[in-house]
Amino acid sequence: MGSFSVSIEPLVSLDKVSYLYPRSKKLALCDISLEIHKGEFLGLIGPTGAGKTTLCLTLNGIVPQFYGGRFFGRVTVAGLDTVDHPISTLARHVGVVFQDPETQLIATSVENEIAFALENLCVPREEIKERIPRVLAAVRLEGTEHKHPHELSGGQKQRLAIAAALAMQPDLMVLDEPTSQLDPVGAEEVFATVRELNREVGMTIVMASHAAEEMAEYADRIVLLYDGRIIAAGTPDEIYAQIDLLYEHYLRPPQVAETFYMIGKRGAPVNKPPVRMREGAMLLDTLYQQCTIAAPKNLSMPVFHRGEPLLSVQDLKHTYPDGTQALQGVSLDIHEGEYVLIIGQNGAGKSTLVKHFLNLLRPTAGTVKIGGVEVGNFSVSELARRIGYVAQNPDNQIFSTTVGNEVSFALRNLGYSAKEVEERTVESLEAMGLLDVRDAHPLSLPKGDRARVVIAAILAMKPEVIIFDEPTTGQDFRGARFILDISRKLHQMGKTVLVITHHLYLMPEYAERVIVMGKGTILLDAPIREAYHQVELLRSTFLSPPQAVLLAQQLNHRERQDWKLLTPREVADCFVCHSNGKGGMV
Amino acid sequence: MSIKPAGEEREVKLLGGATVDGAPIAYLIVLAAVVTGLALIPLSVVLGSGKSFPMSQGIYPLVGWILGPIAGAIASAIGASLGIFIAPHTTTVPLATVLGAVMGSFAAGAMVAAGPRRNWWLPLSLLLFVIYGFYGGRAVLQNGVPVYAVVLGSFINWSALLLFLLPTRRLAASWIGHQDLRRVASGLFLGTWMAAGLSHLTAAAIVYFVVNWPEAVWLAMAPLAPLEHLARCVVGTVIGTGVIAGLRAIGLVKPAWAVY
Repeated sequence: MGSFSVSIEPLVSLDKVSYLYPRSKKLALCDISLEIHKGEFLGLIGPTGAGKTTLCLTLNGIVPQFYGGRFFGRVTVAGLDTVDHPISTLARHVGVVFQDPETQLIATSVENEIAFALENLCVPREEIKERIPRVLAAVRLEGTEHKHPHELSGGQKQRLAIAAALAMQPDLMVLDEPTSQLDPVGAEEVFATVRELNREVGMTIVMASHAAEEMAEYADRIVLLYDGRIIAAGTPDEIYAQIDLLYEHYLRPPQVAETFYMIGKRGAPVNKPPVRMREGAMLLDTLYQQCTIAAPKNLSMPVFHRGEPLLSVQDLKHTYPDGTQALQGVSLDIHEGEYVLIIGQNGAGKSTLVKHFLNLLRPTAGTVKIGGVEVGNFSVSELARRIGYVAQNPDNQIFSTTVGNEVSFALRNLGYSAKEVEERTVESLEAMGLLDVRDAHPLSLPKGDRARVVIAAILAMKPEVIIFDEPTTGQDFRGARFILDISRKLHQMGKTVLVITHHLYLMPEYAERVIVMGKGTILLDAPIREAYHQVELLRSTFLSPPQAVLLAQQLNHRERQDWKLLTPREVADCFVCHSNGKGGMV
Repeated sequence: MSIKPAGEEREVKLLGGATVDGAPIAYLIVLAAVVTGLALIPLSVVLGSGKSFPMSQGIYPLVGWILGPIAGAIASAIGASLGIFIAPHTTTVPLATVLGAVMGSFAAGAMVAAGPRRNWWLPLSLLLFVIYGFYGGRAVLQNGVPVYAVVLGSFINWSALLLFLLPTRRLAASWIGHQDLRRVASGLFLGTWMAAGLSHLTAAAIVYFVVNWPEAVWLAMAPLAPLEHLARCVVGTVIGTGVIAGLRAIGLVKPAWAVY
């Protein structure tokens, strides 16, 4: 580890860079000056719209050479000015990996995928044949040469995209939110690969990401972008310890830093919140000696639901035509008004289960009932009135040319009167804060707003159950919280809410009950406080418990208690500290 | 732009992206794939040859308006060529299919009202006159089909040519470039009537040299061909309005010679 060090010589230099997209009146980047050194791992953080992607695209000349627009200042990569040199030349020096692996893979085999760019750069055939096994080994994809890229898992696909970029032997690898669409295993695979490339091979890395815990762990330096400007730059310890700065710019600090920030606010001697878990664990040990630990008060407990279930699944089995047994005897009751979180690794059977609620899949064996009636007895329109489904990618559900038409589409097709269509449409748009953009094209809105369009369209149908399938994927912290706040609002309105997500740290404030799935079975069905503290079980299905839960477990171990704490605030509330002049936040 | 950037403004050239006549190659590939895909869908039976015509005929003009005349013609040619192999049931004479696709996109892309290409319509019109002369002339002079039958049977062709010569050509282009989507839809309908009609003329002229259909078919075509042509216009309008609205909304790079 760490055999390569950061060079003093800058590999990339941005000097007073500003950029205006065509037909835009607002600068996407504004007076950015930055140097990136050879061998450095630079993390770019910032909320959606901060300019992270635009900055990434200036490094290989796509901005401005592909997009056009107005460009100010100078970017040089390996001595080449990115405005004066064509993208094909810059591509030899800068490899780029984007958010969604699906959109980057075009060939019919793994080796062809890697060879594609090299062939376009007229690299000799023998040289290409030499490079393919080398880069596959670098991303640990040996043996997949002849596979179709679509046979690979999400993490493998993203690693293949990295391999294809790596084959060009670039000086710089730019990764734009490479893990945001991946499950925890895939994300871990990608981070491990990138870390290895950086530390073992000395590859210079620029990575934009919302994954605060991982960025704190792996990056050498963090640049905080907001509104196209650099707000702060420094080591992860310097940036992620500035909790107020992160809050101010709608960013999520690592939970360990947030926890100690809150403990510090209670008078504990925390000079600077640690940003990595191991340092947090050590600090927790020292704080015991200086603070009193009090039992937590008022831990919320979910309401226990009784009576007839709204959704009932009994001994459900589903086998796909290729023989995959996706569900193996699942039994489950969901009552009206519950907020249920369904978690599990990709392939655990979450989506297959949900598709049975929507009658998109028929059981191989077992029953699925809604309100006591077999789901197969409902027509599509009847089901649409009872269950709303928000898919992971809102764009897949959008097809109208205005927001208003999108929201009213289903209502018009279900035969509601014009007056009722209008009333429900306005009501839904108002609830989602979209009335002002009623006449806008849905695709002209940011992704978070597009998700709200889909939710508004579902709300207009007034369904009893609303299913959110990975609603926070690809969203920044603010966008994710916004969507989850909507889900809570719907829950408070009496709707039954089901959420599928890998982002466990987001859910304690929302979910009441957690269903952990693995290999087509239910591994655990418990209240959220119980479920999150089953750390070993979660890890066995490759889910990462939030750092606050891990700190709470350390606290429990020390205090010989079994407090089911979930959030940084709950952990911090256990510390009763008396500032003696040395303590408190500095 | 309310803030004045500190850095010196640079001259931006669209030199890095792989383009054909100012249209990114990626766009060409996508639209060629769409043409190929729509080639699989037959719209109706064409009397002259007993074959059906594909839905892709309705979007050749749209490809020209999005990519410009040259890139559009190339994309349509690629898409139509692939369509011949994967959907032979919608092809009568392969050469006619490809050249018809090329003409549909090229004529549409040439409907510009301003700029260095504003006069491209003129030589193109002359060429189309020649094609129409060969097509109708062969029917009347060589095959003895009455003039009235040829005029009735080729209504969609000569009406398209006439509209292309008149200011309606510019009108359609300006409507397609309008912000109001209702105008865009109207422009697409009118423009598709012209460009798809000229595409049909090019293809039909070639097919006629192979098939030489008799007077009865010319007469049967008189009411049916306009109906078929309306179907093309509806396809072009419906797909085109959605595509143009979407392209404008997501702010993707606009090809250099795009009309929308």
